[in-house]
Amino acid sequence: MSDFDPILLTVNDLATTFQTAGGPLPAVGGVSFDLKRNETIGVVGESGSGKTVLTRTIMGLQQRTNVTVTGSVLLDGHEMVGASEGDKRALWGSEVAMIFQDPMTSLNPVMRVGKQIDESLRVRLGMSKADAKARAIELLELVGIPSPAHRYDAYPGQLSGGMRQRVVIAIALACSPKLLLADEPTTGLDVTIQAQILNLLDDLKERLHMSVILVTHDLGVVATRTSRIIVMYAGRIVEIGSTREVFSAHRMPYTRALLESSPKVSNDPHTRLVTIPGRPPNLLKLTQGCSFAPRCSYATDRCHQERPELQPADEPGHAYACWNPLPKTRKRTVKTT
Amino acid sequence: MNSAEPLLKIRDLKVSFGMGHHEVQAVAGVSFDIFEGETLGLVGESGCGKSTTGKALMRIVEPTSGTVELDGVDLCAQKGKALRNIRTRMQMIFQDPISSLNPRRRIKDIVAEPLDCWKSVTGSARDTVVSDLLVKVGIDPQVYGNRYARQFSGGQCQRISIARSLAMRPKLLICDEMVSALDVSVQAQILNLLEDLKKEYGLTLLFIAHDLAVVKNVSDRVAVMYLGKICEIGPSNTLYEVPGHPYTKFLLGAALEADPDSPVHGDVLTGEPPSPMNPPSGCRFRTRCPFATQKCADEEPLLSEVAPGHSVACHYPLNVKTPRKRAPRATA
Repeated sequence: MSDFDPILLTVNDLATTFQTAGGPLPAVGGVSFDLKRNETIGVVGESGSGKTVLTRTIMGLQQRTNVTVTGSVLLDGHEMVGASEGDKRALWGSEVAMIFQDPMTSLNPVMRVGKQIDESLRVRLGMSKADAKARAIELLELVGIPSPAHRYDAYPGQLSGGMRQRVVIAIALACSPKLLLADEPTTGLDVTIQAQILNLLDDLKERLHMSVILVTHDLGVVATRTSRIIVMYAGRIVEIGSTREVFSAHRMPYTRALLESSPKVSNDPHTRLVTIPGRPPNLLKLTQGCSFAPRCSYATDRCHQERPELQPADEPGHAYACWNPLPKTRKRTVKTT
Repeated sequence: MNSAEPLLKIRDLKVSFGMGHHEVQAVAGVSFDIFEGETLGLVGESGCGKSTTGKALMRIVEPTSGTVELDGVDLCAQKGKALRNIRTRMQMIFQDPISSLNPRRRIKDIVAEPLDCWKSVTGSARDTVVSDLLVKVGIDPQVYGNRYARQFSGGQCQRISIARSLAMRPKLLICDEMVSALDVSVQAQILNLLEDLKKEYGLTLLFIAHDLAVVKNVSDRVAVMYLGKICEIGPSNTLYEVPGHPYTKFLLGAALEADPDSPVHGDVLTGEPPSPMNPPSGCRFRTRCPFATQKCADEEPLLSEVAPGHSVACHYPLNVKTPRKRAPRATA
């Protein structure tokens, strides 16, 4: 596809189901969205909401005998669902790359970090040993590692968590991907290091003209770093829209509950937090209705019997899945009382 | 709250770990008080010694030197039975709710264990106490009492840990990152529960966490640690609004508010904390501090009061009314 096509990624009715001993487990169901070039979209949700499985499915990593993937993931003209290992391998690195959650375990502990960056350069781009080394050192410098030539020979164990995450980013960027999937890239890192990594990702996105899918459970991370947000619950998109709109004019009660239950630095001490009663549902025992209905204070009979589909809100691109949406307000400030 | 005598008085607490031929001072001399009925938040980045401080108060790790006085009794000087006795008055809740409970034990036995150890309550009274505790934390003892710990989710395990820690009716509860492994909706439930129980049982809390928003929500006062030392301590609102230590300011600047209109802070702290094996001379923060001068390298700043109850360990504290001249930047 030409670079003039403004849409890089189109996900259509994507569903990932695991065959488990307890029956089919729909980890991701009916997810559709698209992503423009040079856009950052945030995916938020609690653990078990399917965020990670969604990104792994987009990457094409969820293909084993006990997994069924249906729907379509069209990445720059290439279909990822059902693609052969060889086809996908040709796309990994240059079209799409992924930063995994845990910087401690996603590197090989007994291989020098430089060699781990070289690997993709030599295999995918066919670079010579010397060229690959020079490029790897450049990449280490790009991601802000001090004395990169020296760090090239370090083992992951000799680096701190923040430094290791930078190495993981350098590996992901090695073949200049068009789409970067960042799965909780800063979870487990300290706030000051988190700010450094998020600034780095922002900066690299602009410089390298990438699109980024930023998966996180931390609403603070997506608030200022994304242009659009997807809110997931029990494997489905329950609300999608521009970041500003989702934060200030959300219609889905779950989105509000998620926003209100997170503590704020501006709160006074001993502020009572708004809680969501109950727990996320067991995906093996999903009912016909809205999966949030059992925890929702606005739920009616219809919510328990019939699943709401995404329907457009006022602002173009903003959609929510709810039978009893919150009233329209232009300015909804999140408050904890 | 600020009654004359603090419940817990910590003076010059130091904890060192041997590492081969080296020695790491994880806690390098901290002093603070916790007053009865208050919640003191302890924040800092990983490796700053906040968890070690919490554990040293319980003597789970042995302090190298210093004193920890609970109601006037020095815990560090106690041994054997006397130590065990006094330790019942302080309890600890740990970070990972699932691994801190034995997966193969029934939860009513887990909650009853402190009672069984001390044989303080036996027979049917024991079962009543256990049931009451489980009800208090929101778990139905009739339905769940006989289930095993492994059958519960993280949030429920944390509730069970809280019930267990309350069994001995402690005065002081040390919460070490107790909500950091939980999702926001569950985290809010646990934090509200903790506030309720604090009131009901008249607890005093030391709340150790790295999440500044969580700490602000529960704490009356907050202490900020960096590389084994306290760099600032003060009332929560004051400390968050007018931080005195540059490190506190940067830490707060890096904390992200869930609001798209909040400004992205341009001034991000560069670099990483230095190794505690070889801490910088003078002020420990000087290697990352944009305001550091030669004085910071030569002379260690001590905690000194900038406002009533608000102390800062910095030669050039921020937000202080008194006019001052900022010395030129150090070259080293």
